[in-house]
Order: sequence, then C-alpha cells, then structure tokens
Amino acid sequence: MNPRRHPPLALVLAALAATLVAAMAAGVALGAVPVAPADTLTAIGRALRGASGGLADTLVVSVRLPRVVLAALVGASLAGAGALYQALFKNPLADPYILGVSSGAGLGAMAAIVATAGATALRFGLVPLAAFAGAALTMLLVVRLASHRGRLDPTSLLLAGVAISYTLAAVTSFLMVVAREQMAAIVYWMMGGLSGASWPYVGMVVPMFLLGIAVPLLTTRELNLMLLGDERAGHLGLSVERFKLLTLASASLLTAAAVSVAGLIGFVGLMVPHMVRLVLGPDHRRLLPASLLAGAIVLVLADLVARTVIAPIEIPVGIVTAVFGGPFFVWLLVRGRTR
Amino acid sequence: MTSTRDILLDYRDVAVGYAGNAVVAGASLELRAGEVVGLVGPNGAGKSTLLRAVTGDAELLAGTLKIAGADSHVLAPLERARLVGVVPQQVTAAFSLPARDFVEMGRHARLPRFASLGKHDRNVVDEALVLTDTARLADKPTDELSGGDLQRLSLAQALAQEPQVLLLDEPVSHLDLNHRLQILDLVRLLAADKGIGVLAVFHDLDLAARYSDRIAVVAEGRIGAAETPERAITAESLRTVFGVRAVVGTDPVTGAVSVTPVLRDGAVASHSRGSVLIIGGSGCAAPLMRRLVLSGWQASAGALNVGDADQVLAEALGVRYASIPPFAPMDEDAAAAVASLATDADAVVVCQVPFGHGNVANLAAAAAAARAGKHVVLVGDIEGRDFTGGVAESLWREALDAGAVIAPDDDGAEAALVSFSEGGKR
Repeated sequence: MNPRRHPPLALVLAALAATLVAAMAAGVALGAVPVAPADTLTAIGRALRGASGGLADTLVVSVRLPRVVLAALVGASLAGAGALYQALFKNPLADPYILGVSSGAGLGAMAAIVATAGATALRFGLVPLAAFAGAALTMLLVVRLASHRGRLDPTSLLLAGVAISYTLAAVTSFLMVVAREQMAAIVYWMMGGLSGASWPYVGMVVPMFLLGIAVPLLTTRELNLMLLGDERAGHLGLSVERFKLLTLASASLLTAAAVSVAGLIGFVGLMVPHMVRLVLGPDHRRLLPASLLAGAIVLVLADLVARTVIAPIEIPVGIVTAVFGGPFFVWLLVRGRTR
Repeated sequence: MTSTRDILLDYRDVAVGYAGNAVVAGASLELRAGEVVGLVGPNGAGKSTLLRAVTGDAELLAGTLKIAGADSHVLAPLERARLVGVVPQQVTAAFSLPARDFVEMGRHARLPRFASLGKHDRNVVDEALVLTDTARLADKPTDELSGGDLQRLSLAQALAQEPQVLLLDEPVSHLDLNHRLQILDLVRLLAADKGIGVLAVFHDLDLAARYSDRIAVVAEGRIGAAETPERAITAESLRTVFGVRAVVGTDPVTGAVSVTPVLRDGAVASHSRGSVLIIGGSGCAAPLMRRLVLSGWQASAGALNVGDADQVLAEALGVRYASIPPFAPMDEDAAAAVASLATDADAVVVCQVPFGHGNVANLAAAAAAARAGKHVVLVGDIEGRDFTGGVAESLWREALDAGAVIAPDDDGAEAALVSFSEGGKR
C-alpha cells in the first residue's frame, strides 16, 4: 500500500535484537576462560534462585554478564546520542566525542572521582550528575561558540568541539597530576574501558539511559521535522527552540551515562547511526530504535575484541572503536567532498 | 460586504524586521478568504519579511497582526501551523526521505501527540500529491529531486496542513512554464473552492497580474494599498518602484495586465548628447529610439498614430512626440507639431518607414529642417517605400540637396549623429 525501498522496521529490529542476544552470549562465553553457553545458562539460573555456585558461576554472573550488559547500554547510549546530535545539527559528522561533549562529561566525572576520593558510597550518586553537568555545559558552550547571528555553522561546530576537547583534556591532565595517587585508574578510564564493570554500574546507567532515551523515542516525528531545518520545522508546527533544548538535554544525558561508567569511547556515536541510515534511510522512527540496538551490538563486539585480541592483556575498548572509527571518519570526509 | 470573520490576515500599521531593526514599517493589509493578493517590488524591499511576520520568523516590532482573528504573537507554533501553510523560496530536501514522507510531515500539526497517520490523514496527503502533480514522485528520495519537483512537493506539504492561509514566496521560481501555470491555476482554484486566502510574493509581474485579485507594491520598506492589477501596475509605478521604463499593456489573450520592460533608468548614459527628432512609424523607429535614449540623446518623435508600436514605446520611454489618432492621416496641426519638434531639435533622423499620403508630411518636415540648416540623417533608400506617386521621393532628394546625409542602417545613423554632435554645428 505504501511501498518503500527499505526493509520493514519490525523485521530489522527483530534481526538486530537477535544479533544482540547472540553477541552478548558470545561476550559471556568467550574470554581468557571459555564458558560453554549451557553452563552460562545454568549459572544465571542458579544466581536467579539465589543458590551459590563455583568459580565459573562468579565469572559469569558477577564479571562477564554485567560487563556485556554494560557494554550494550553504553553502546546504545552513544549511538542514540550520535543520532540525536546528527539530527539536531543536520550534520552527519556530529557525535558526542567529536563535539567535545564526551570530554565535558569526562571532566565532570573525573572531578567527582577526585573530589570523592575514598568515599565510594558518594561516588555512585555524584559521578553521573557531574558527568551530565559537564556534558550539558560543554554542549551549550560549543553551540554558543559555533553560532553567529543565530545561525549554527556546521564547520565551526566541529572545530569548536575539537577546540573544547583539547582544552578540557588539558584541565583533565592537570587534575591527574594533582590527584597523583589515582592517576593510573584515571588514565585507563579516559581511554575508555569496561573492565571495571559491575552490577552497581549497571544500576547507575539504566535510569540515565531510560531517562535520556524516553523523550527522543516519543518524538521521532519531531526529529524528522528537524531534517527540514529549523525554519520549516517551525512552519509545520514544531516549537523548535524548546524541542532542541529537550533533545540536547537527552543527548547529553545519554553521553553522560556512557562516560560515567566507561570513560571516553569515540566514534560509536558517529559510525552506528551512519551505517543504519545507509540501510534504513533517515526516518528517525526507524533510525533511532535501530541505532540503539546496533550501537549495543557494536560495543559488545568491540569489547569482546578488546578482551581477547591479545589476551590475557586487555586493551581499552576505546582503542578498538578508534581503530575502526578514525578511518571511517576520514572516509566520510572524503566522500562528502567528492559528492 | 465581507464580514470581519473572513479576514484571514490583518496587518495594522505593522513594523516588522530582525534584531530590532524594521525592514518594513507602517504596513497595513487585509487578506480575505478566497482571494489571492500579490506582493511585488524590488529585491530587498521587504516582501518576504512581510510573509515572515506571519510565520513568526521575523519580529513584529510595532502594530498588530491578526491571523484568522487571533493575535499573531499569542499563537503557538502548532496552532499557527493549522492556520498557515508556507511554500518557501528555497526548499531543502529532507535527505533521502521519500517524497511521500516529506508531504506527510505537513500533517504534523493535525496529529495528536504520539499518534501516527490515520486514514483521513493519508487521504489528505494523497489529495495533496495529486493536486500538485507529484503522486508519481511519492517513492523517490527528496534529495534526488529537482528544484521544481521540491517546490511542488513543498506546496503539497503545505496543503497537507489544511491551512486557511497560504503564504507563497515566489512559488514558481524553479518551475518550467507548464508547471508554473499549473501551480498558479491550482492556487487560484484552492482560493475559489476552499476559500483559502493566498498571499504571494511574485517577481514576474505578468504572473502577478494574471493570478492576483489585488496587488500591493512593496518598495523601500513601505507597502502601498492593495489594488487591482490594472491600478497597481502602471508605467508610472514601475518607473518609481523599479526604475524601469516599461510598456504596460493588456495581454490580448488573457486580458491581464502585461509588462514589457524597455530600459532601466540606471542604464541611460549620464552625459547628455544633444537633442534629436526621430521620424518613424509602424515600429520601424523603435530600436533606434531606445538606443538613442540609452546613449544619452534627448529624443523626440515625429507624428505617430496612437497605438502604433513606436508611439507605445515613446510613451514608455517618456519621449516627447506629436500624436495623431489611430489610423488617421496627419492633419495640419500634426504637421505643425512635427515642424516645431524639428525646430527644437539639434538633428533629425528619418527611419526606414514607408511614406504614404497620411505621413508624407513627416518627410516634408525633415526636408524643411535640412533647408533650415539642421543636421538630417536619412536611413536607407527611398526606393520601394514611396507610396505617394513621387512626392516622397522628391522631398527625399530635396533634403539631400539641402545637405542631408544618408546612413545605411541604425548603426550608421547613430555614428552620423555622434560625428555631428562632436563636430559642432554645420
């Protein structure tokens, strides 16, 4: 009745969800010590019943499971944030990392870590809040810097993002020097890693993720209007300024969620919405949910690579995403120029 | 009489602009249901800004603007989008979104929050696609479409809003001739059938005149009263507003006002060349007349029949001329008028007009001028255009004997005039 060039959404989402489950299963099963899928299930079953098991059970339930769940949540958050920034700025190169928002969230989080040194109980409440504050403030600053007479210049936006990133990196380094005893932990966290994953971290991210994605998932039609530009979106009935603010807050919250637990992981927010757009088109009713699932898959797999590629040494997952993401970014630049 | 309820847009002494600076001030205009009002005027005069006052994209700095009875500034974007549809000058493609989705975006303000399109919505979109002749584009990605297609889709999108007011900012600037007429015919139809009020910015004056019920001229931040096209578009208004001398006539087929621009005031040479009387008729003097005026000559024209192409041009150029009624022969008054024009002029040019008994008096005036010592240029040859049984030919020879020169064509005539003016009096 309404023929499309793209495959039906339900089918795509089902396929993505199945892939995510498979990737998470692989994430739990593979590692320095392999665990058979059947054992994984019995371990989870035992844990749910409250029964205690052996060392393998601990590995599955307390180490690997929270880690893949966290990877999925972080990947979804970053991809979601990237899709939102790209829609809002009509700029396919926008992503939380490039816009400097990740650095802002990182600085906020780190300041909270340093300030709460020794007070772990406080940390879980303060770090996400500080990360969100850092993300939101950076976003506002970058947008302000890139705007001239009410117009947002796409190139300035990226340049301002990079400039702010560098500045924030300097401040972060300064903090590291000051808080010398925590330097190793901070450096590792900055490179982006999930090695510290635990259920409390999951508990910290879930509410931020849900809060951050709720509004965007309910306003995909409005996100589509933004594709026409601010003025046309307004003509068609959108309260543009209010919507932008709400969406920026959501994207900042998603970025803060990811950065609070996993540090700076770049390029997921850039690559994933792009790849999804190639398959599903720019309609956010399809793009956004599919990007969340695809982002989760990508980060679960990237983390698996990070853990296993030179096992038993584990590399930060941010390095894995950058190895793929950097060239991808260059490809986008070149393609944008030749078109 | 229309009731106040039918007034869809009511500008009362409005000032509108950006960042506190008014682009247009003191603007008053009413748009009623079912009528098309055209805005014409030079670039940067504030036509689009007047439209943007309605969309809220420009600031209302003074006065009141009511949209379907409601004060413009109290309307929320959603309410406004249910009343007003806009077709912008420049349409942006929505990436690779299919055209149908693009048009469906027009339903946004009509849908309950979080709801998706229902049967009625789809019917409205279908109708909009059919009306704008874009149904066959429905599945094409918008970023692969031409500017003209996008413009029509943009109208479809605006129609999907089911608006009471349509704002068109040069709605046909990217369209070919066929679609231009099609879209404007559609706009007229929508006004007539659905009672939509249309406020449209036009650059093409002929189209403005043909499709508008009333036209308001916007110039230098002011808007004139909206009047019938015949009253709004006149040679005088074009000269003051656009600085263009134009022939304003009636299109013989459509009956609408039609404009033929003749020359820009700015293109007229600033230095004065001297004065010249041009003798022509039946349009054979028109090219030379335009050319001499452009290069700075103070031109006048010999007795011309009203309605003759040369007369129409002389009128548009503001050239002084002796006139005779349509198709009438020259009488003694006309001959005297030409003779007096010749006396006032430094030189006389006789164009390649055929001479009959009705106009041979023009040639007599030229011969007299030659005898009186004026510079006279005769263009071409008298051979084959003497229909007076020799009278014209003998006048021609008489002029030559008195010192007139022959120029082969308009170029030669202008060159001869220039050499006269530079060489001083004979």
